[in-house]
Amino acid sequence: MDPLEVEFLAEKETVKIIPNFSLDKIYLIGGDLGPFNPGLPVDVPVWLALNLKQRQKCRIVPPEWMDVDKLEETRDLERKEDTFTPAPSPYYMELTKLLLNHASDNIPKADEIRTLVKDIWDTRIAKLRLSADSFISQQEAHAQLDNLTLMEINTIRTFLLDSLNCMYKLRSNLQPASSKGQYADF
Amino acid sequence: MPCERKPLRFAHCEGHTEVCFDDHGKFIVTCGSDGDVRIWESLDDDEPKFITVGDKAYSLALKNNKLVTASSNNTVQIHTFPDGDPDGILTRFTTNATHVTFNCSGSRVAAGSSDFLVKVVEVSDSSQQKTLRGHEAPVLSVTFDPKDDFLASSSCDGSVVVWNIEEQTQVISWPLLQKTNDVSGANSLCRLAWQPRRAKFLAVPVETKVVLYERGSWDHVITLSDDLLTQPVNVVAWSPCGQFLAAGCVGGLLTLWDVNSQLCVERQKHEKGFTVCSLAWNPSGSQIVYSDTMGCLGLLDGLSLSSSSTSTSTSTSTSTSTSTSTSAPKPTAAKKPAKEYDDLFDDDDDDRLMDEGLSDTNSPLKKHVAGDEDDDDDDFLMPATGRVRNRGAILDDENSLDTGSLKLGPGKFGDDDEDASGAIVPVSAPVLPLRPVYDGPMPTPPQKAFQSGSTPAHLTHRFMMWNSVGIVRGYNDEQDNAIDVEFHDTAVHHAMHLTNSLSHSMADLSQEAVLLACSSTDELASKLQCLHFSSWDTNKEWMVDLPKGEEAKAVCLGQSWAAVATSSLILRLFSIGGLQREIFSLPGPVVCMSAHGEQLLIVYHRATGFDGEQALGVQLLQLGGRRRQVISGEPLPLTHRSYLSWLGFSAEGTPCFVDSDGIVRMLNRSLGNTWTPVCNTRDTCKSRSDHYWVVGVHENPQQLRCIPCKGSKYPPTLPRPAVAVLPFKLPLCQTSTEKGQMEEQFWRSVLFHNHYSFLSSSGYETDEDGQSKSLKEQQELLMKMFALSCKLEREFRCVELAEMMTHNAATLAIRYASRSRRMALAQRLSEIVLEKANQIQEEEPEEPESSSIRRNSGYDQSEAAAGHHSPTRGEQEEEEEEEQEQERGGELCEEGDQQEMETEEPTGNRKRFNPFAKESVSSVTPSLTPINKAGRANPFKVLGSGKPSAPPGQTRVTNILDNMTSSRKAAPHAGSAGKANKGPVLKPLAPRPKSKAQSTLLQMTGSKTTSKKTRDSSEPTAQQQKQQEAPPPASSADNTENKRPKTGFQLWLDDNRKSILADHPDMEAETDVIKEAMGRFRTLSADERLSWTERAKGLTGEAADLKKRKRATGEGEDGVDHENGATEADENSAKKKKSLDPSSKLSAFAFNKK
Repeated sequence: MDPLEVEFLAEKETVKIIPNFSLDKIYLIGGDLGPFNPGLPVDVPVWLALNLKQRQKCRIVPPEWMDVDKLEETRDLERKEDTFTPAPSPYYMELTKLLLNHASDNIPKADEIRTLVKDIWDTRIAKLRLSADSFISQQEAHAQLDNLTLMEINTIRTFLLDSLNCMYKLRSNLQPASSKGQYADF
Repeated sequence: MPCERKPLRFAHCEGHTEVCFDDHGKFIVTCGSDGDVRIWESLDDDEPKFITVGDKAYSLALKNNKLVTASSNNTVQIHTFPDGDPDGILTRFTTNATHVTFNCSGSRVAAGSSDFLVKVVEVSDSSQQKTLRGHEAPVLSVTFDPKDDFLASSSCDGSVVVWNIEEQTQVISWPLLQKTNDVSGANSLCRLAWQPRRAKFLAVPVETKVVLYERGSWDHVITLSDDLLTQPVNVVAWSPCGQFLAAGCVGGLLTLWDVNSQLCVERQKHEKGFTVCSLAWNPSGSQIVYSDTMGCLGLLDGLSLSSSSTSTSTSTSTSTSTSTSTSAPKPTAAKKPAKEYDDLFDDDDDDRLMDEGLSDTNSPLKKHVAGDEDDDDDDFLMPATGRVRNRGAILDDENSLDTGSLKLGPGKFGDDDEDASGAIVPVSAPVLPLRPVYDGPMPTPPQKAFQSGSTPAHLTHRFMMWNSVGIVRGYNDEQDNAIDVEFHDTAVHHAMHLTNSLSHSMADLSQEAVLLACSSTDELASKLQCLHFSSWDTNKEWMVDLPKGEEAKAVCLGQSWAAVATSSLILRLFSIGGLQREIFSLPGPVVCMSAHGEQLLIVYHRATGFDGEQALGVQLLQLGGRRRQVISGEPLPLTHRSYLSWLGFSAEGTPCFVDSDGIVRMLNRSLGNTWTPVCNTRDTCKSRSDHYWVVGVHENPQQLRCIPCKGSKYPPTLPRPAVAVLPFKLPLCQTSTEKGQMEEQFWRSVLFHNHYSFLSSSGYETDEDGQSKSLKEQQELLMKMFALSCKLEREFRCVELAEMMTHNAATLAIRYASRSRRMALAQRLSEIVLEKANQIQEEEPEEPESSSIRRNSGYDQSEAAAGHHSPTRGEQEEEEEEEQEQERGGELCEEGDQQEMETEEPTGNRKRFNPFAKESVSSVTPSLTPINKAGRANPFKVLGSGKPSAPPGQTRVTNILDNMTSSRKAAPHAGSAGKANKGPVLKPLAPRPKSKAQSTLLQMTGSKTTSKKTRDSSEPTAQQQKQQEAPPPASSADNTENKRPKTGFQLWLDDNRKSILADHPDMEAETDVIKEAMGRFRTLSADERLSWTERAKGLTGEAADLKKRKRATGEGEDGVDHENGATEADENSAKKKKSLDPSSKLSAFAFNKK
C-alpha cells in the first residue's frame, strides 16, 4: 500500500472547521454535511476542510489531541512503555502532516506539535524495528503488536514480508533435505 | 465565635501564596508563585488588578500604600499600591528572600532570606540596612516587635531568635523547631507573630501548638493547643485587638484562640484540606483571609469578636495557669466594665501602657494574697480602681515605663492580668467607631453601561463586539491602537483594519455598517462614527459629534438605523446614512442596548438596587412601520445578586438576556411579555470559575452559541476562541424523569415556537416548514405524554393533555384510549374533541384564514401521530376531514334542499372512497368501506332531521344535554363492559350505539351546519335510507358498544332476531337482517313501539339480564358477524369513519314516528 493511499484514507477523518460562508446541508454519497453557518463550528472530512481552507473559506479547528500538552503526555508515555500505547489518533501522522502543511496558521504552536508528533512517530517506529528484530532473531512463528496505526503497519510491511520470505528461503536451503532443491534451482 | 466560611476561589497557580489586607481592610492582596500580586476588591472580584513582580513572589507586605515583595530575582522590591508602579529595590540577597514584613509604623522592612540573613531596611532610605547574622539555615519568617526594639525570626536551623535591632545581637534563641536544609523541606513555615498594640506576647508555632513567649522575660507563658490540631501549625496571626490568635495548619485547619482564656473559640476546616500558608486579619477584625499552597483564597467573615468576651469571662475561673506559677489572664466580669470605661477615655495605646506599668506595682501584693482563684478575682477589683486613681499622676513617657515594667521581674505576672484583660477592651472601643451607624441594606453600585458581546474596556486586547455578523477587536497597546473588523461570513464584507485614532471604546456591527463611538476628551466631544460599508455611493463613512457634555454610553445598529444612548439620558436615532431621526428621553441611565430589525431593546437603571441587586428596567420599541412601545419600562428579572451580562435578540428576533449567574432568559410573547429562563450556562461548566460567554441565541434550530472560558468570564482574543453550542433547557422540575423530560421538551418547543407568530404578525415571511415541524413535534410530545399518563393510570392527566392537543391529535388520543380500553377516558376525551370542533367552527366564519391554518397544523399533527400509529390512518383521516368540510360547505350552499344533498352524498362517498382504494395498505376490507363512508356522511342529515325546526341555539343545548346524559349513562356500564370486553368473540350483533365520542362530535357538527335548514317532506325517505346504511358500521363497531343504552328498536331486534333469521335463513349480511327487522318493527303498533322504547329507557336496571340475553344471541350470530369481526380491530380505531351514531339515529327515528 502506498503511503499516499493511507493518506487518502486518513482524509475521511472528520475535523471541525469554522466556515466563513453560509451554505445549506450538502448531500454527498459519504453522508450529509453541514449546514454551514458562518462562525459556527461544523464537522467535515479532512479533504473538504483542506479544500475549503485552500480557498480561504474556513478556519480549521485542530483536533483535540493536537495539543502540545496532550502530545507531550503521549510522547512520555510512549517512551516509558515497552509496548505500543494507543496512538492519539489512528491517523495521527497523516493528519498532522496534512493539517500542518495546509493550515498551520490555524493551529497554535504548530512547530512544537510537528516536533512532538515526529518524536512519537520515531519512538514507535524504533519500537517496531526492535520488535521485528527480536521476532526474527528469536525465530518466532507469530507475534502480537497492538495499537499500531495503518501508516506504521504500512511502513514496515514491505520490508518485513520481503525479508521474512528471504530468510525463509535461506533457512530452508540450510536444511539437508533441501539440498536437492538447490540443485533444482540451477 | 460564629463566622461564615466563604467559598474558596482560585487566586494563583499552585504553590506558596501569601495574603494580606490593605491598611483600610478594603482590598485583599495576594501573591503567588505565578509572580503576580493581585488586588481583590472582595472575594468575588472576578477581575482583580494585578502587578507582576517577578517570576515568583515569595512573600509580600503592605503598609502605607507601599507594597513590598520578595521575588525570585533575589530582591526585595517596592511597588506603589494600588497603582503597582515599581518604586525601587529595597535590598538584595544572594538568594531569594523568604519572608518580608513591615514594622508597626511602616518605616522599616525586615526580610529573611534563604542565605541565612535577616535584613532590616529603612523604607525611606534603603541604604540604611541592618543585617542580623547568626542563623545557620534559611530564614523561615521574621516579625517586628510592635515597639520596634526587637525582631524575631525563625529559621530552618530549628531556632527561633529574638534580635535586638539596634545592637544587631541575639537577645535569646530557642531551639524549638526541627532542623531542615531548606524552606521547602520545613514541615512548618513557622510564621511568627508578635501581639499588636500590647507587644506582650510573641506567638511561635511549634508543631501542633502555638507557644506564647512573653516580651522582656522571654519566658514561655502560654501554650495554645487544641485537640483537633494534629498537624503542624504553619502560620499564626493576631487579631488587630491582640486578644485573639488565629492559626492555620498544614492539614487546612484554621483555629482561633482567645488568648485570655486560652480557649479555642472557633475552628474551621479548609474546604479542600489544603495547607494554609498565609493568614491575615482585616484591620476591622471581622474577617480573616487565608490562602493555601494550592493557590486558593478563602475568607472567614462575620467574626464577632465582642460576642466572645462573655464566654471568656465565664471561662476565667476554670482556666489554669501555664508554665509560670501565677494565674495568667483572669479578667472578671466586674473588672471588664471598668476597663471599658477606662478605654472610653484612653483609646490611645500610650495611655493604657502607662496604666499597665502602674498597675505592676500592685501585682506583687496581689500575688501574695492570691490563695485561690476566687480571691484572685476579688483582688482584681482593686487594681482596676487603682488604675483610675493613678492615671492622672503618671506623666512619664511610654518607653521609660515600659522598660521599668521589664525590670520589675516578679511584678510582670500581675501585668499579665492587666494586659490580658486590657486586651479585651480595644475590641469594643476602637472597632466601634469604624462600624457604620446604618446597618440596613446597602445600596449596590449601579452596573456600568456596556456593549453586549464585548469584553471589559480596560483590556489592551479586547473584543469590542462579537455578534452573529462578525467580530470587532480592539487593540490598544504601545505599538498599536487599532480596530479589526472581521465578518463571520466573508460574503458580507472583507475584513477591515482601522487605526483607532479617536480611541473608540464602543462598537456594534451589522450586515450594513460598523458603528463606533468614543467618549469625550478634554478637547474633543464624544463622537459617533459609522462605517456604512454597504452604501452604494462612494461615501462609506460618516461621523457625528454629540453635544458638549453628552457622552455616548451605548450604541447599537438596527436594520437601516443606528441608536446611541447618551449620558444625558437621551436616546438618539440616526438613519444608517447619517440622518438624524427621532430623539427621546430614557427613564434612567442606560445599561445596555440591542437591536434587531426594527426592534430596539433598552435596559436602564430603574432605581438604586440594594444588597447586591440591580434594579434594571427594560423597554422594547418597535421602530418600523407600526411604531409602538411593546414593553414600557418593566423591571428586568435578574437572578438574585447578579447583573446583566448580555443583552440581545435571538436570530429570529426574540429578546433575550443573560445575567452574571449565567441564566439565559427569553421573552415569552405569548405569556404577556414575561421572561422565561431557558438555559443555565453554569450548569454545564466544569469548574466554578469557568463561564460561558454568550455570543448568540438561535431559536430554530435551538442553539445557544457561546464561548467556553476556562477560569474567566470572557475569552481572550488570542488564541482565537471557538464557539460552542449549548442546548436550551427550561428549569422544570424532575427533568430526570421521562415525564419531566417530555414536559420540558414540550414547553421549550412551545416557547421557541413563539417567534413564528411574532414574525408573521410583523409582516415577515416565516419559515412554514420549520413552523409545521415544531407544531408536529409538540403534538408528538403531547401524544407521548398522553401515552405515558395512560400507562401510569393517570386519566385525569390524560384529559388535561388532551385539552392542549389540536383537534386531530385529540381524536388520535381517543383512539389510543379506546384501544387501551379506557372507556371512561375516551368518553371524556370525546367531549373535549367536541368542544374543539365547536371552536373550530365558531372561528371559521370569522376567520377563515386562521381555521385553514388550524387545519394545516392539524394535518401536520396527524402526520406526526402517524409516526406512532399507522401512517395511512392519519392521512385518511385528514382527507376525510377535508371531505367533511367540503360537504358541510356544500350543505350550507344548498340550504334546505334535502334532495340535492341526497344526490350529493354519493359523490362524497365516491370521493371519500378513493383514498382507501389508493391506500390498499390499510387493512380495511373493501366490502366495508362503502358502508363506512355512508355512515360517515349521514350524521349531518340525520341530526338535522332528528331536530326539525329547532332554532340553532336550542339545537345546541339539546345536543349538549344529550351528550351529558349519555355519558352519565355510560358510566355505570363501564365496569361490566370491561368484563365483557375480555371475551374475545363477543361481537355486538345488532346495530348498537356507537362509541359516543365520535357520534357526539358529529352530531354537533351536523346540527350546527344544518340547524338553519328547514325540513321538507322528503325527510322520512332520507331517514329510512340512512337507517339502512347505518347499521352495518355499527355492527362492526367494537365491543365498547355493549355498554351503550339501547333504543327500543334494538331491544326489539335483539328479541326478534332469531325469528327473523329463521324466516330468512339465506340472509348473510347484517344489513339485510336489519333491513328486514326495521320493516317488521315499523309494522308494529305505535303503542308497542312505545313500550319497547320505554323498556329501552329502563334498561339500566335490567342491564345484567339483557347482557345475558345478548350474549346468547351473540354466540348464535357469530357466523353472521364473522367477516365484520375480522376487520373489527381496524374499525375500532378508525373512529372518524364510524362517525354515524346509530343509536341517536334510531332514537330519532323512534321519536319521529311517535
